[in-house]
Amino acid sequence: MSLDRRSFIAGSAALAAPLALPVQVFAQEKIVRFSLPQDFTRIYTFVTSEYNQGQRDYFTLVNDRGGVGGYKIVADITDHANDLPRAIEAYERGKREGAVLIDPLSTPVARALVPRALEDKINMITAYSGRSDAADGSAFPYVLPLSINYWTQAGLIIEQFKKTEKGSLKGKKIVFVHIDTPFGKEPLPILNVLAKKEGYELAAFPYTPPGNDQSAIWPQVRRARPDFVIFWGAGVGQTVALTEAIRNGLPMDRVSGSVWLSESDMDVVGREAAKGVMKVEPCVGGREPKVIKDILADVIGKGKGAGPENKVGTAYYNYGVQMATLMVEGVRKAAEKAPNGPVTGPWLNEGLRSITNFTADGLLPPTTITKDDHQGGGMGRIARWDGAKFVPITDWFSANQDVVWEEIRKNSDEFKKTGK
Amino acid sequence: MFYRRAGIRHTRYQDERQLFPLGFDRGLIIAVILVLLAAPFLFDRLYVSGYLLPWLIWTSAALGLNLLMGWSGQIHLGYGAVMGIGAYGSVHLVRLGVPLEIAMIAGGLLSATIGTMFGGAALRMKGIYLAMATLAMQYVVDFVISHSSVISGGSLATLQVPPVRFLGIPLQGDLPTYYLAFGVCFVITLFMLNVRRTSFGRALAALREKDYAAQILGISTFRYKLLAFWVSSFIGGVVGSLLAVTYLRAISPDQFHIELSIQILAMIIVGGLGSVLGPFFGTALILFAPIVLNNLLGAAAGTFGLSLPIDLRAHLPLMAYGALVIGFLLYEPLGLAKIYANFRNYLLVWPFRHAQR
Repeated sequence: MSLDRRSFIAGSAALAAPLALPVQVFAQEKIVRFSLPQDFTRIYTFVTSEYNQGQRDYFTLVNDRGGVGGYKIVADITDHANDLPRAIEAYERGKREGAVLIDPLSTPVARALVPRALEDKINMITAYSGRSDAADGSAFPYVLPLSINYWTQAGLIIEQFKKTEKGSLKGKKIVFVHIDTPFGKEPLPILNVLAKKEGYELAAFPYTPPGNDQSAIWPQVRRARPDFVIFWGAGVGQTVALTEAIRNGLPMDRVSGSVWLSESDMDVVGREAAKGVMKVEPCVGGREPKVIKDILADVIGKGKGAGPENKVGTAYYNYGVQMATLMVEGVRKAAEKAPNGPVTGPWLNEGLRSITNFTADGLLPPTTITKDDHQGGGMGRIARWDGAKFVPITDWFSANQDVVWEEIRKNSDEFKKTGK
Repeated sequence: MFYRRAGIRHTRYQDERQLFPLGFDRGLIIAVILVLLAAPFLFDRLYVSGYLLPWLIWTSAALGLNLLMGWSGQIHLGYGAVMGIGAYGSVHLVRLGVPLEIAMIAGGLLSATIGTMFGGAALRMKGIYLAMATLAMQYVVDFVISHSSVISGGSLATLQVPPVRFLGIPLQGDLPTYYLAFGVCFVITLFMLNVRRTSFGRALAALREKDYAAQILGISTFRYKLLAFWVSSFIGGVVGSLLAVTYLRAISPDQFHIELSIQILAMIIVGGLGSVLGPFFGTALILFAPIVLNNLLGAAAGTFGLSLPIDLRAHLPLMAYGALVIGFLLYEPLGLAKIYANFRNYLLVWPFRHAQR
């Protein structure tokens, strides 16, 4: 195509347009800026929208009530599509605009940002993602999972199985069906150590990512005649796994997943058929907790909700609220220690790492973050799907933390050796 | 007016043979290089480490793939795996205490060796069949990396890059990493500019047009096909280790999956196959259009008080991005480099309408 005068001028104008991008300057109020670049479009999709909706609704609630410790929360949300250049750009932009906390909600992104966050002293939240060994605060001062990692979740599930079998798993067979990625294989060391300790037999069945066809695996699982089944994946793999488990006639009350199971998944599988399946609950689900009721009354009720109302109180929405309450509690603690700031990464870090026995009015298990323990104590509970909602079948409990921390220390020592 | 092409003719062969025979082009290149060299002092940190650094790295990779696809016409869908081999190879060596300069070359050699082995498929296959063979390479390499914990680095599958030095300078902070990436990109670009003037480059071009015709002309297709894979994979490996050391700083298997291969492929197709300038434009578009569109929409939503649902707000830039890529390719199927060439041709004799050939 040759170039004529008209298209030349039009083209130049089009090229010049993005250069006029305004650089925003914000007024100096007392604000704490959070950067929430998350993956809305590539892999985590609906998980992210529900999680993020919960976070924003809670920030709205806090800000409408006058903020926390004299500070208002400002949350910048962008889409990083699980793509590292986009995530790193968002991180650098957040840093320039004065963000003191970043929550990427993505394992690959969190891994790439760990060295940067440690260097720049910006608090990175890696809830249910990122490196499991970030629970060791002495090695990762600015990486804060603030939630139970996958190793703890596996430990909790095994403990629940043990309770079901009246205290002994000797001679039992536990099948671990997992997506064949590093994330899927992560619980294996813990499960192996516990197998030796508890005397059960472990059989692992990997399926190829992304897991939308698992029909070859599940008949093998059935033939293995397991006493218990753990399935480990995320996104589409979860519903496929459950569907296949049901089709192969596995007893659903002996099947458990990690925290990645929600009402939305149950709609896909069939609410009735999935009855009995278990999951790990890191915080209370549903609309009963006081915080969720407050959000319903003061945020949703006033038309300020960040998304569709029917998502309020679903599992991932509540995870979002859970993380948001912890972040805000960190700000409150930080403002208590140094009311006049200045608002920096280390300022917030002090606050986040002194959260003690925090339950957000009954939304979370008692959570204590210390300079050594970024996991928050490792408490969770097991819930069972009853056809309409997840019903907790245990109280908050913690289990097998000795094994989990051995694995954490092993990995964080390795990081310390090469990271510095 | 700018190029002062009208009436000026070269009087010596050396002048005509220069990389950039026109004075204006030389000036432009020097100006661009100077701006890039001064960038860390001119621009905000955000633009240096968030835009320029990835741009230089991904462009280097795209140039390496362009040698294979644009010059010698062999399709490769596993370039991300090639980069992954280089990255893992060099990071492991660095962790064992090998100096980075040697580790980068060794990573390149490792990539070149494995890449050439898979490139052997090109001796028997062409076009879409070769695409499948190289796609298989992508998956085989992914599988091997993520299933051998010795390579991937334990149960967390993350390999930390230890602090390294390049020629005695510690690679910490923005400046050294940026200049290292700039240096590598500069050398690769210079190499690519010169390849087409060598017998090697001409052999590759002959291969691209028709391989048995090239064989009849006395060009060993066996040798040059493998050589094309070797050189391209070597560049891929070096850039992979550059990516790991200066940008990612912690590598895990998912960073080198098929998405990376497709991304780099898109860069050279949008930029222009067989062009040196193309990858620079293509990389900028593919890497930054989603970011810029996202920020523009965010700024617009903020300024005009639009309250878009977050899902729509996240997807709109992607739609615009898709439309942009299709639009550019419809307007000029030969890529962004060709659009620039049209623009340049227009200005060559401006204000006159036609260039005298």
